[in-house]
Amino acid sequence: MSDLAKEKAARLLKKRGSLSSLGSHEIKAKETTGKTKDSISTVSYIDDPGHHDDNPRPAVQMENTYQLSPTRRFPVMTVNDILKDVLASYLQEEKYEAELCRQMTKTISEVVKARVKDLMIPRYKIIVLISIGQLSDQNMRMGSRCLWDVANDTFSSHTFKNSSLFAIANVYGVYSE
Amino acid sequence: MDEFQTGEETTFIVDDVSTIIKESVEAAIGGNTYQHSRVNQWTTNVVEQCLSQLSKLGKPFKYIVTCIIMQKNGAGLQTASSCFWDNSTDGSCTVRWENKSMYCIVSVFGLAI
Repeated sequence: MSDLAKEKAARLLKKRGSLSSLGSHEIKAKETTGKTKDSISTVSYIDDPGHHDDNPRPAVQMENTYQLSPTRRFPVMTVNDILKDVLASYLQEEKYEAELCRQMTKTISEVVKARVKDLMIPRYKIIVLISIGQLSDQNMRMGSRCLWDVANDTFSSHTFKNSSLFAIANVYGVYSE
Repeated sequence: MDEFQTGEETTFIVDDVSTIIKESVEAAIGGNTYQHSRVNQWTTNVVEQCLSQLSKLGKPFKYIVTCIIMQKNGAGLQTASSCFWDNSTDGSCTVRWENKSMYCIVSVFGLAI
């Protein structure tokens, strides 16, 4: 029963977190399944690479910067343009195919992350979330909430649609003091 | 500010977080069938419950919680995420939940302050 569920889940939904392809960390997706009477849940996460360090970094004592807020804010409109650009160029003529779109989501998220990093916004951590789905008769709702510093942290979002698929891109920028 | 870390664990602990997510999802949409009119409220409930449980952990973390609820209709969905953060302290966890009529994918990203 759990095999069938895993297969179904693998065929229709896949979530793979990935570290940068240039990094040398190993990616381990751990999955544990739990069952209740009429629902199945699967957990997957990236194995925390911090635990694999042979020489753990000693806790760094940071000096005070006396800075109350970031020098440069997260440029929402610029990032919005980046998303529009990347999604349109990668997906304009594509049809939804499971294998192709799996690779596409990973590639697009890496590309968007690289372009946002190129903006060189200091002290900001970046999270890029890309979803590509097939257009059929289904309905879908996506929501997100964040617990953060409202003054400095923000997000940018864009959706793209063509005749056979839709894509949602979310970029969150979180200031790290 | 002399000390940032007083020896307390400030890493993202996946097991705790995944338990919290599973409980929140079960509580919010547990035995329900997909209903278009209620989905909005469900996503809000799932996310807000997750967030309030996470903040109760009391850790010095910023959280981003994302929830996708999709009707089961044979359509496919791919999701990927790419993050630029501090690997030793930050982490993420995703829980895929399904029942007979819908899928629910919840992702939590935790960023250390």
